[in-house]
Amino acid sequence: MKRSYVIKKVLQALLTIAAILIFNYFLFRIMPGDPLQSVMRNPKATPEAVERLKALYGLNDPWYLQFWIYIKHLFQGDLGMSFLYKKPVYEVIGTRLLPTILMVGLAEVLAIISGIIMGIMAAVRRGKSVDVASLSFSLITYAMPTFWLGIILVSIFSVSLHLLPTTGLLTPGQTYSSTFAMLADGIRHLILPTLTMSLVLIGEYALLMRNTLIDVLTEDYITTAYAKGFKEDYVIKKHAVPNATLPMITIIAMNLGLVIGGAIQVETIFSWPGIGRLMYDALTARDYPLLQGIFLMITVCVIIANLLADLTYGYLDPRVKQ
Amino acid sequence: MRCKLKKIISFTLILLLILSLNVYAAETNEEIYTMRIGMTQEIDSLNPFESWLVTGAEFFSVIYDPLVKFDENLKPIPNLAESWELSEDQLEWTFHLRQDVKFHDGEPLTSEDVKFALGTFSETGLGMYASLLAGITSIECPDDYTVVIHTEEPKANMLMAYTPIVPKHIWGNVPLDELETWPDENPVGSGPFKFAEYKQGEFLKIEANDDYFGGRPHIDEVVYVFFASKDTMAQAIKLGEIDVATNLSPTQKQSLEAEENIQVISGVVKGYTEIGFNCWDDPASKGNKLLLDKSIRQAIEWAIDKQQIIDVAYSGEGVFGTTVIDPGDYFHYEPSAEELRTYDIEKAKEILTAAGYEDTDGDGIREDSQGNRLSFTFSLIADNTEEVKAGQMIAGMVKDAGIELVVETVDESMLLDKTVAGEHDLFIWGWGADVDPTTILAVMSTKEIGNMSDCFYSNPVYDLLLDEQQAIMDEESRRDVVWEMQRILYEDVPYIILTYEVSLQAVRTDRCTGWKQVPEGGPYFLGATIHNYMNVQPAAAISVASEATETGTSSSMGMMIGAVVIIGIAAVFWARKKRKTEEE
Repeated sequence: MKRSYVIKKVLQALLTIAAILIFNYFLFRIMPGDPLQSVMRNPKATPEAVERLKALYGLNDPWYLQFWIYIKHLFQGDLGMSFLYKKPVYEVIGTRLLPTILMVGLAEVLAIISGIIMGIMAAVRRGKSVDVASLSFSLITYAMPTFWLGIILVSIFSVSLHLLPTTGLLTPGQTYSSTFAMLADGIRHLILPTLTMSLVLIGEYALLMRNTLIDVLTEDYITTAYAKGFKEDYVIKKHAVPNATLPMITIIAMNLGLVIGGAIQVETIFSWPGIGRLMYDALTARDYPLLQGIFLMITVCVIIANLLADLTYGYLDPRVKQ
Repeated sequence: MRCKLKKIISFTLILLLILSLNVYAAETNEEIYTMRIGMTQEIDSLNPFESWLVTGAEFFSVIYDPLVKFDENLKPIPNLAESWELSEDQLEWTFHLRQDVKFHDGEPLTSEDVKFALGTFSETGLGMYASLLAGITSIECPDDYTVVIHTEEPKANMLMAYTPIVPKHIWGNVPLDELETWPDENPVGSGPFKFAEYKQGEFLKIEANDDYFGGRPHIDEVVYVFFASKDTMAQAIKLGEIDVATNLSPTQKQSLEAEENIQVISGVVKGYTEIGFNCWDDPASKGNKLLLDKSIRQAIEWAIDKQQIIDVAYSGEGVFGTTVIDPGDYFHYEPSAEELRTYDIEKAKEILTAAGYEDTDGDGIREDSQGNRLSFTFSLIADNTEEVKAGQMIAGMVKDAGIELVVETVDESMLLDKTVAGEHDLFIWGWGADVDPTTILAVMSTKEIGNMSDCFYSNPVYDLLLDEQQAIMDEESRRDVVWEMQRILYEDVPYIILTYEVSLQAVRTDRCTGWKQVPEGGPYFLGATIHNYMNVQPAAAISVASEATETGTSSSMGMMIGAVVIIGIAAVFWARKKRKTEEE
C-alpha cells in the first residue's frame, strides 16, 4: 500500500518536471525581442561576426533541433552557455547559490520557528494581550514593503548604532588575518538581510499556526483531554499542536522550495550576490539560457519540496494514503 | 519569572555575539589604504574588446595605458608616446615611445604591442574603442620604440583616439574570432593599477603598480563595490564603508550634502538625454508619418518647458539642452537668439496652424487636412524613473499645443528592438560621448541607419560634413564645420536635447585629500582622465587617528564583553537554581 503511494507521488513529480521543462523552454522563446541583440551589444558588428555568434550559441538551427540539443545537453548536466556572462550556466548559478541558500534558508528556519511559537502563544491566549500583540505584529510585518523594512533596519543597526555593515557578503576587497576573522565578518554581513527576510516571513507562519490551532482547540478531543485531568501545557503539546502542524507542512515545503529562488528585494537592498538578483539581471539582458537554468532549478526544487511534503503528510496522517 | 530571565539571557547572548564579531572583524590588515568606490552599474566585461559600459572604460583606463592621454583641460599630452610628429602631407604619424614601460607581468611594452592593439581594435571593429580608429590604413614598427601610423586621409582625432594598449604576448595568442568571447580572467596591462580580484556581483579589486613609469599612485588599493541599490550606497558612504559614491540620485545628493565629511558634486559629463523622433521616410517605416514634418517636431520643442522638467523630474540636476555637443565642450554650438527654441506655447500653436494642422472636431487634438490626428506613441524606458516622470510632464505640456502623446513604458531592450525596426514614433533615451565629437555626430549619419541611428535621419549635406570634419587638422576650421553640423541638426530636430548629463558623485574628505573635478566642473570619476586615481592622497593624520580609535574601541569592547559574559553566566546559574527550587 505504502509503496504504491510513494511511487504514484514520485511519478507525478517526474511528469510535472517534464512538463515544466518543455514549457520553460518555449516560454522564453515567445518573449518579444531578439536575444542576439543583447549578446552582441556591438552596434557596429559585421554580418560575419553576427553569423559567428549565432553559430556559437546554436541560434542558426531550426527550433526543434535547438530544443532537442537542449534536452540532450540537459541530461548530460549541461545547461548551456550564459549569453551575459559567457560562461557555462551551471557555473554562473553555482557561484550565487550558496549566498542565497545561506541567507534565505536561515531566514526561513528562523521565521518558521518563531512563527510557530508566536502562533501557539497567540492561540492559547486567544483574545488576551499576547494574542493582540502577536496578531498586530504579524499583520504589520506581513504587509510591510520589504524594501522599506530593509532600509529601516539599515538606518537603525548600521547608521544609528554602528553595529552592522550594509552591503554584500563580506567587506569588499578585505584581506583577513585569519579564517575566523573572515567568518566573523561574514556573520556580521549575514545578520541584517536574514533579519529582514525572516521578519517578512514570520507573519504568514504565525497567522496560519494561530488559526489552525484555534480550530483544533475547539475539537471534542481537546475537551476530552481536559476532562481526563491533563494539565494545559500537556494538552497543547501532545494533543493540539501535532494536529495543527499538517497545514503548516504544506506551506513550509512550498516556501522551502522557493528558498533557492532567493529574494530579489532583500538581495537588492543589501547587494547580496544571490540568485534573485541574478535572475533579474538575466531577465533584463534576455539571457535565455541562464533564465532557463534558474527557472528549471527553482521549479524542480519546488516540486521536490512538495513531493517531500506529500510523503511527510502520508507519514504524519495515515488517512491521507487511503 | 523564568520566562523573563530567559529573554534577558538570550538577548545578552545575541548582543555578545554581535559585539564579539565586531572585534574580530576589526582585526584586519589596515596598514595599507584601500579606496572603495561605490558603483551602481557592474562592469560588463574585463575584456576591452567586449565591454560597452562606462564602468568598463573606467577599469581599462587604470589597467592599460593609451599612447596619448588627456590633461586636466582635456588636451592631449604624452603618455606611452613621449613625442610625435606629423608628416607634411598629414598622412603619416610617427610616435616615439618611452623605453621604460613594462607590463604588469614584467614584459617590456614595445612598438609591436602598439601595432597589435591599434591594429586589432580597428580591424575587428570590436568594442567601444574601435570607432575612433577609423581611417588608419597601416601601422609600421621601424624599431622597438617607434610606431608609424598611416592614414587614408588626415585624421583630426588621432590624438583623441584613446585606446588601451593591450599586450601582444597575451592577446596575440587568442584567435581573432574568439576575441570577443575570450574571458580575460586576469587582465595584464601597463597602467598605474594591477588587477587583483573580481567577484561577480560583489566587487572588483585592483592594486597600485609599484613600477609604474608615471610614479606609483598614493592609494594602495582600489575596490569597486557594486551596489544593487542606490539607497544602500548612500548609507554606505555616510557610514564610511565606502570612500566614493557614484551615480547618486538628486534626493541622495541633498541628504549627503548635510554630512560633515562628505563632498557632493554634480559633475558635467559628456552626454545628454534626448527626445528622439522616427524620421524614416520609407514605406517600411511603421512610425507615424506625420512626424516626418519638421514643423511638428519644432512645435513640440517650443511646447516643452525644459527648465521645469529639469527642476521637477531631475530635481534641478541637469543643464538646459540645445545642440548635440555639451556647452562645456570646445566644439559646442550655441544657437543664436533667433534660432533658439525656448518654451513658448503660443509659438508652438502658431507653427502648427501655419503648417495646416487644425483641431476640426473639437477634441483638443489637431488634425491634418486628411483628418489624421496628431497623436503619437511616446516610448519611455520603464526603470528610469526620471525619464518616465519627464515623459509624463512632456505629454501634458504638448497637449496644450494640440498634440497628443500616448505614453508607453518599455524596457531598454524592447526600445532598442523598436528603434532598429523603425516601429517607434518618439522616445526618450540618452547618449554618452567621447572627448572627440566624431562618434556622437556620426549617430545622425545615413550610414549609421541600422546601427547606431535610432532616428533614421538622413541628410547628404550632413554626411559630407561628417567626413570633412574628420580630416581637418586645424582645430578652428574643424570647429566651424562641427558648428554647421550642429546647426543643421538643431534646425531639423531629429532629436530634442532635453538636458545635458550630470553625474552626482560624493567623496569622503576625511579619508583622502586632493579630490579634483576634471575638467573644471566635471566629475571625480568616470570621466576622461584618471586624475583622482593618481593624485588623491590618504589623509595621513586621519588614518593614524582612526587606527588609534579602532584599538581603543576594541579594548573597551573587550571589557564590555567580559562584563556581559559574567552577567550572562550568573543569570544562567540563577535561573537554574530558581527552576530547581520550583520543581522541588
